[in-house]
Amino acid sequence: MLKLTKSLGQSFTITNLAGLRALNRSYAATNVKEGAQLNPDEPIDMPNPFEKDPEQCILCKHDITPYYKNVKLLSQFQSPYTGRIYGRHITGLCKQKQEDVEQAIKRAQRCLLMPGYHKDLEFLHDPKLFDPERPSRPHKY
Amino acid sequence: MPSYELALVLRQMPRPELISAIRRTAECILDSGGIIRKLENLGTRALPHKVSEHGVVHREGTHFNIAFDTSPTKIADLKEEFGRDIDIIRRHVFKIEEPEKFKCTLHQEMLPPAYRKDVQEMIEIAKRKQKPKYNYNSGLDYYPFQK
Ligand SMILES: [Zn+2]
Repeated sequence: MLKLTKSLGQSFTITNLAGLRALNRSYAATNVKEGAQLNPDEPIDMPNPFEKDPEQCILCKHDITPYYKNVKLLSQFQSPYTGRIYGRHITGLCKQKQEDVEQAIKRAQRCLLMPGYHKDLEFLHDPKLFDPERPSRPHKY
Repeated sequence: MPSYELALVLRQMPRPELISAIRRTAECILDSGGIIRKLENLGTRALPHKVSEHGVVHREGTHFNIAFDTSPTKIADLKEEFGRDIDIIRRHVFKIEEPEKFKCTLHQEMLPPAYRKDVQEMIEIAKRKQKPKYNYNSGLDYYPFQK
């Protein structure tokens, strides 16, 4: 009986911990059952309650679809010196969004909405979304 | 009929001429059996670089968008017709598509290479491409294959 109460107490502390993290996972029901059967000193099989939410890129986070008429947004992914589109290791976008951004920029350039060899002077002092000097992976060249 | 978007850049000209040029292109779409959904004026401004079209150098232009529906077989004819119009500097027809829903894959892409799915696939392909190699210490005192 003492053993049972001990294991119960342990499982409650675990649920309290999870509750503190405000994660909507319930371990209480399964843990009490397992704890009653097994040795209370054994580790309990449970998902990591301290796991962080999956990281999202800036466009996915705000649910933005890059579109070729949105020149102000697209010019933020362009180098002010050469007009080249920054790579994925600099922009920090996921594969799909980077592809969409590149396609939209190329479209805007063909429609004469955006320059190809420099950044539009209007947008030169826009806030920076990322730092080209600190890429997440080393540069290719 | 699929939806398309026509992105036009018209040359710099006075307003009545501009209106007649837009009316001409719009009537062209209507004559081909299409429907016009939206007209959008993106304004007159300096072009990002000088553009030589129809033997004239342009430095300013008016951006105008027309959203329309028409049969895909008519698009080539429309493009050909707009290409002959000397008031139009650039003409591009894009298909309007709903953006596909997808989950952000950034957290998977930021994993170390050994855990990334595309890297694992590449390793798998490299393993498959490796040819079987003759083992020299297999006991034979001569090479059994052609050199
Ligand atoms: Zn994303």
